[in-house]
Amino acid sequence: MTAAPTISAPTTPRYSAVVKTSVGFVAVAAVCLAFADISITTLDPWSEMKRMAWGVLTPDFSAVAGLGMVVMQTIAFALSGVALGAVGGFLLSQVFHLGPVRWICASVRAIHELFWALIFMQMLGLSPLTGVLAIAIPYAGICAKVYAETLEEAHLPALRILPRGTGILSAFFFARLPDVWVHIKNYTSYRFECGLRSSAVLGFIGLPTLGFHLETAFSEGSYSEAAALMIIFYLLIATLRYWMRPKLVGIYVLAAPFLLGGGAVIEMSNIVRFLTVDIVPAPLRGAALLDGQTWDNLGHWAGTLLIDQALPGMVATLLLSQIALVATGVLALALFPLISEKFFGPVVRTVGHGFLVIMRSTPEFILAYVFLQLWGPSMLPAIVALSLHNGAIIGHLMGRFSDEVRLRPDSPGGINLYGFEILPRVYGQFLAFLFYRWEVIMRETAILGILGIATLGFFVDSALADIRLDRAMFLIAVMVAVNVAVDSLSRHIRKRLRLDARAREA
Amino acid sequence: MLSIRTLILSTVISVFLIGGVSPRAFADTFVFTAIPDEDEARLRERFNKVADYLSKELGVKTEYVPVKSYAAAVTAFRNNQVQLAWFGGLSGVRARILVPDSEAIAQGYEDQAFVTYFIAHASTGLKSSLEFPKGMAGRTFTFGSKGSTSGRLMPEYYVRRNFKNAPGEIFTRVGFSGNHVKTIALVQSGAYQVGAVNFKVWENELKSGNIDPAKVSIIWETPPYPDYQWTIRGDVDKRWKPGFKQRVGEVLLGMKDPELLASFPRKSFIPAKNSDYQPILDVAKQIKLID
Amino acid sequence: MNVLFRLNNENLGYDGAAVLRGISITVAAGERLALVGESGAGKSTLLSVLQNRYDGNTALIPQDPGLVRSLSVFHNVYMGGLHRHSAAYNLLNLIWPRQREIERIRPIVERLGLGDKLFERAGELSGGQQQRTAICRAILQGGDAVLGDEPVSAADNHQSRIILAALGEAFETIILAMHDVDLALEFSTRIIGIKDGGIALDAPAGELVRSDLDFLYRT
Repeated sequence: MTAAPTISAPTTPRYSAVVKTSVGFVAVAAVCLAFADISITTLDPWSEMKRMAWGVLTPDFSAVAGLGMVVMQTIAFALSGVALGAVGGFLLSQVFHLGPVRWICASVRAIHELFWALIFMQMLGLSPLTGVLAIAIPYAGICAKVYAETLEEAHLPALRILPRGTGILSAFFFARLPDVWVHIKNYTSYRFECGLRSSAVLGFIGLPTLGFHLETAFSEGSYSEAAALMIIFYLLIATLRYWMRPKLVGIYVLAAPFLLGGGAVIEMSNIVRFLTVDIVPAPLRGAALLDGQTWDNLGHWAGTLLIDQALPGMVATLLLSQIALVATGVLALALFPLISEKFFGPVVRTVGHGFLVIMRSTPEFILAYVFLQLWGPSMLPAIVALSLHNGAIIGHLMGRFSDEVRLRPDSPGGINLYGFEILPRVYGQFLAFLFYRWEVIMRETAILGILGIATLGFFVDSALADIRLDRAMFLIAVMVAVNVAVDSLSRHIRKRLRLDARAREA
Repeated sequence: MLSIRTLILSTVISVFLIGGVSPRAFADTFVFTAIPDEDEARLRERFNKVADYLSKELGVKTEYVPVKSYAAAVTAFRNNQVQLAWFGGLSGVRARILVPDSEAIAQGYEDQAFVTYFIAHASTGLKSSLEFPKGMAGRTFTFGSKGSTSGRLMPEYYVRRNFKNAPGEIFTRVGFSGNHVKTIALVQSGAYQVGAVNFKVWENELKSGNIDPAKVSIIWETPPYPDYQWTIRGDVDKRWKPGFKQRVGEVLLGMKDPELLASFPRKSFIPAKNSDYQPILDVAKQIKLID
Repeated sequence: MNVLFRLNNENLGYDGAAVLRGISITVAAGERLALVGESGAGKSTLLSVLQNRYDGNTALIPQDPGLVRSLSVFHNVYMGGLHRHSAAYNLLNLIWPRQREIERIRPIVERLGLGDKLFERAGELSGGQQQRTAICRAILQGGDAVLGDEPVSAADNHQSRIILAALGEAFETIILAMHDVDLALEFSTRIIGIKDGGIALDAPAGELVRSDLDFLYRT
């Protein structure tokens, strides 16, 4: 009798590319953590936390004068900015296949709204247009990309049947647009919610939105007032679908400019000066361009800036965003069961939803600001803020996604369910969400520099404080480069791991 | 489909409205601002009173616009969105470089000889001295705003001069609190061990009972330097009427309401000129805050 | 004889892979062709090649009815006439349908039993209704010929006759892929049978009886 030939099983398990990538990212983050500046520098964070908690329990709605107007203006900035951005983005999406257009869109969306506002402030001052453009321009870049992808992916059978001789415009509006319109509309209304957050945050640098009063309230320690403002903001977002009716959009958008409030007079000379003098590197201003010395000076100028500010800023930005990315992932994986029908009953799910809604509605900038008050300056407040906000967004999407998973009737429960049934099924989607969010985390990391964490934003803010706009623009250009690089790396990884790109709302 | 139409149409109209309608309201108003060196509520209260006073005395509608940063104050002045500003020494020098015809027209009596206090948390064991306190090295340190004279420029200048090194090399952590009140709060809470603060704000906070001497105290004071001043744009005569600039100066110097003066807090206002601030410009150039 | 379509010993297919080989066909104006054969035999391929080759205007009724699901029946039918109007007029009708256009389209949809659906979104109609919407569009479009891929697959016998009659009045030349052999024999003047990657039968309908076509469906 001969023994049946046996195929020997491998003695060690083999891991998939997805697992290897994940482990790689965690390892990089761990190394970053070793170099990161993480500490609680306040001596008594608890007393401040108690005061904040007390403020949350005793919101004071009477403290903000003209609260109604502030809310209106916050909405008005968001509306005007998003409407302009959406229309601009839509037009750009029609020529998005052109290389330069793609690059321009990638660049403008790599700059955070706050920086756009600071840039426009130099030209237009605190005029309402500053706030509107600060939202509209990066949003146009984002919308252009998403609309273009939506149009490209759409299945449009009606294109086949068009009579010969149908014009481009007619073909577009009849055969192409209507069936993708609903996607565009959904995405745009999601953008509007983001716009509300952006609008609120712009108040921190002086525009008349909720953030203006929030900054005042926080910095003066009036936590009851701050709590009232935050509650109003949450209500605004939570009730969005009740007051943001499609039929009313037109009226709102028309009314918005009248609510933006007065502002400074816009002078053309300021704009011209900004573009032709302010942002020209100092060594080139009024210098002989044919003189070799001028270019030596420029080299020295750029070299110093690169070594003293851009590089350290870049390192801190990358360090912080890597840690925040992985922390976001861990948090999202921990949080999503809270809202999943597979794991918890209605009570826990309601609490979970409440927590996630609050965390994802609160702009990272405001979260970081609060934690900074509590713990003092280090990377810790930034990491916690970024991972809470982004973790809540991804956790929310994952929770919804996990509810779609069909389980066999005898599937295990609890931690086994999580580890063997749910996680393997949702992990790809999770990574897609996370990598999609990478670029956003990066942009936010830079902006947190304004709060004093030494990322690129810190140096940009310093240059702006010194009214050295040429340096600020140079550093912003570096920021754009880093962001675009991360974006394309993320796209590359998503493609290599074949991750579904249904992640746009992440 | 209705919403495509309405969205596009109304956006186009809105663009014109945003650009066209809103700015008009401000055209005839004389607008001024002030650097945000203290809590906003306090600034608002003070400068709204100043605005009322100026409106009455000048016979021109005057308005105060609060800003969120020193740079925003300078930029607003530069862009002619405010015509008058209560600047610090450094922000004033910057503004006057950027707006060639502008002039310092009045300063507080105390601003002729302003000083910065270096303050420290009790746990550091640092004590008040006449000598520059070199024991600060290796501690954490906070300035005020990045653009402040008393909270940044002068303290950084003395730190560099005494240690022959940049603050980042001497202290284990360097921060910018944003304003003087916060600097005091941060050092008092121990978030930073040492800080630099405007002496006027310190005295004001001490009087208001916001400072606990057991936790935070003065360890050194800088030699005197010129600080705050009212700076006005050169083209206001053309925009309002001949002699308007001079009239603004007279009205500021004529501010006698003790309550209003106390809110600054200044004893009185006295005449100032651009050259009074040459020392500030020199120091700023030395530590490379101005090219 | 006015020849509309002519193929001469050609291999037809997608992306270089031939589905049909050695095809020769000539279609004259006024003919009513029925393409019959098993599903997957290559009827759709032949139809789309004929449509693409033709220089003039032909109306197409694809199997997937090619509707814009979020637009109304009116708009989907109106699309058959896009080439006749300026872009501005088309956009105007997209937003506010003109009475004139409604009156033009109403009798066509009423004849095919869609009168009450005129302003309903195409995506919300049943499969048969969608198919009839596509036929209305083709009728409005007009042209030298209509090419239809199973245009009556979702209609009952009675409806099919109404549809075919309407097409017959609107177009001089008709080429339809059909799965209902009886209907094909009744309606068309010429039958083309496709089998095994080639034309297996090409004869006037009047000379054929049902059993002559059985071999096409035998494996």
